[in-house]
Amino acid sequence: MISRRSFITTVAIGSASAAALAACGSPAASQTGSAENPVTINYTWWGNDDRAERTRKAIALFEGKNPDIKVNGNFTDFAGYWQKRATEAAGGGLPDVMQWDLSYLRDYGQRNQLLDLGTVKINTDAFEKSLLPSGQIKGKTYGIPTSTNAFAVYYDPAKLASLGITEPTGKWTYKDYNAFLAEVGAKGNGALFGATDYTSVWWMFNIWLRQNNIEAFTEDGKLGFTKDDLKKWWNVTAELRGTPAIVSEERVTQLAPKSPFGSNVTGSEVTWDNFMASYLGDSGAKELKLVPVPSDDADNLGLFLKPSMLMVASAKTKYKDAAARFIDFMVNDPEVGQIFKTSRGVPASKTQRDGTTFEGTDKLVVDYEKSIEQYLKDAPEPPIVGFGTLESSFKRVASDLNYGKLTVDGAADAWFKEAEDLIKQNA
Amino acid sequence: MTQSPTLSRRPPRSAPSQPRTSRRPTSKRSGADARAGYTFLLPWLLGFIALTVGPMISSLYLSFTNYNLFDAPKWIGLDNYVTMFQDERFLQSVGVTVGYVVFGTPLKLAAALAVAMLLNSARKGQGFYRSAFYAPSLIGASVSIAIVWKAMFGDAGPVDQGLSFFGINLGGWVGNPSMTMAMFILLTVWQFGAPMVIFLAGLKQIPADLYEAASMDGAGPVRKFFNITWPMLSPVVFFNLLMETIHAFQIFSSAYIISNGEGGPAGSTLFYTLYLYLRGFSDFRMGYASAMAWLLVVVVGVITLIFFKTSKSWVHYSGDSK
Repeated sequence: MISRRSFITTVAIGSASAAALAACGSPAASQTGSAENPVTINYTWWGNDDRAERTRKAIALFEGKNPDIKVNGNFTDFAGYWQKRATEAAGGGLPDVMQWDLSYLRDYGQRNQLLDLGTVKINTDAFEKSLLPSGQIKGKTYGIPTSTNAFAVYYDPAKLASLGITEPTGKWTYKDYNAFLAEVGAKGNGALFGATDYTSVWWMFNIWLRQNNIEAFTEDGKLGFTKDDLKKWWNVTAELRGTPAIVSEERVTQLAPKSPFGSNVTGSEVTWDNFMASYLGDSGAKELKLVPVPSDDADNLGLFLKPSMLMVASAKTKYKDAAARFIDFMVNDPEVGQIFKTSRGVPASKTQRDGTTFEGTDKLVVDYEKSIEQYLKDAPEPPIVGFGTLESSFKRVASDLNYGKLTVDGAADAWFKEAEDLIKQNA
Repeated sequence: MTQSPTLSRRPPRSAPSQPRTSRRPTSKRSGADARAGYTFLLPWLLGFIALTVGPMISSLYLSFTNYNLFDAPKWIGLDNYVTMFQDERFLQSVGVTVGYVVFGTPLKLAAALAVAMLLNSARKGQGFYRSAFYAPSLIGASVSIAIVWKAMFGDAGPVDQGLSFFGINLGGWVGNPSMTMAMFILLTVWQFGAPMVIFLAGLKQIPADLYEAASMDGAGPVRKFFNITWPMLSPVVFFNLLMETIHAFQIFSSAYIISNGEGGPAGSTLFYTLYLYLRGFSDFRMGYASAMAWLLVVVVGVITLIFFKTSKSWVHYSGDSK
């Protein structure tokens, strides 16, 4: 019975976009518009109000320079975003241009939902050559990175100073970092915890694997690491769970969708460097600083630049040229860089990067990415099909671990069972 | 998702059948009536076939396939139905939902009946109270209420502060896996308006002279309740129990909102329909989700059947020989 209900929701969501694409007959030809009779392309992204405001500005700029194209923008939050795309894809009605995440590139690219951007005109001359493969699958380009981000440890210098803790240098082992968290938690006296359990973040696990010279996924779409690796990883913070070094999972859940760090509940957080703007906004802190992630091998930090976002087009768009021009504009135009600064990450195209003035906190992010340059390795290729599911189940299982519902061994078993089932499903 | 309050307790039985003595023979006239009837029915009928029967049949087909929304469905027979019972999260979702139905529904009905009995006697401002108690179930399933609920039971929310005023320090309920179910049950109990209105209508039907006679015989309020109110009301209780049970199995939107669409913390709000939705639209396992949907249909059907079978022993209809 409820199935009907959820199908009605599906139909409702689907029909809105289906209407726009109802006439989608010949995907081969690309229709063009003129200033008197412009074509309208749909563009969708995930994000908050801040990004919406910046995007609106960028769209207005684009429309001013391209009077033959109108852009119809639309956004949701990250969680709802992928469910919406799934229903649209099922109905054959994906928006013309979309902001995209590396986690889902293979799911849609490999299943012929995305346009091969190699067949249209998008200028990628100003891009780092090591970055472009992250948008490619089997030689075809499905996504163009808008910007890059890297993993980092955030901290609030003012909070540390008030507790009498010296600022970290970022040259640290996991033991050092854990000691730092324990110190923050102890001196924070219930008001401030060390951090959220960083072992619950998939990408941090991925970095740790790289520090140990293990690839997360094999060429043929299987797991490149063993259950023991995962157990070892979740044991890294085993002694901290349940102590003030790590904020309780209860608080984390209650504060969601804000992060504990953004809510001034923790003194540090391990995550992507482009979260700077939103953390500053959420926490109201004057200044936040970034240092590299811990590593037991000082020469191998396992860090890489990941495309923080990609621009993709629907394989079924009627307006290939318009879509390509819009993507080209969003990734290359210097003025777009001025609008977004580092809120999408550091601009991936050199033209855009050079045309943007980075000041204050934006400069911190750019400087951080410069400071780790010597440690950077190639960005990973788009992860396996179904990676989005794996990533969220990683977080969920780790959360059960922090709730004390699972042991480390039980958690590793649970995740592996799901991962193996998923890989078998998509084989 | 609020069910519309149905004031008629039961559909009138055999209303359309004409007395045998009707002078109207089966003539051209009744054929025209039927045609007119079907014509007026047509929009609904078309909608029913296109939007209900069609999707149901296709979902039944999909439940025997491996379908990821993109590639053509692959026939796998009963695999989805079999793997379900080896899926720990599925079993967890069954546990969560059954707990909710078993505890939430009776409490909600008890609250509805209690308030209906209070509002049954004529008092000043009766209309106001009736609307006030009914209001929550009108807005109950809306997204906004779920958000308000989440804020109320969150960290340092009004509930937490109110309880700590009395020296009870539970902290926020939203992040505490052992409190979330209580929160959802409170939410459904609070929305007792629809069954309450139906109870009220039922209470009005009980002849006052029965109570007068009972008073004469020296019966107290408890006796009156169990010997008059309860048996006289039993068809209404049955109707409400059935509707609310079915309704409770379908809880979705509040669970989706309060748990950020994840069924957390620690799976404690992973309701059946929420897991179904996540399977279908997050994990792209549409075949599996369809199988779950059909299992739910079957289970709800079986429960309804059991209700009907057992009802004979406790539901009394006026005119029955019992």
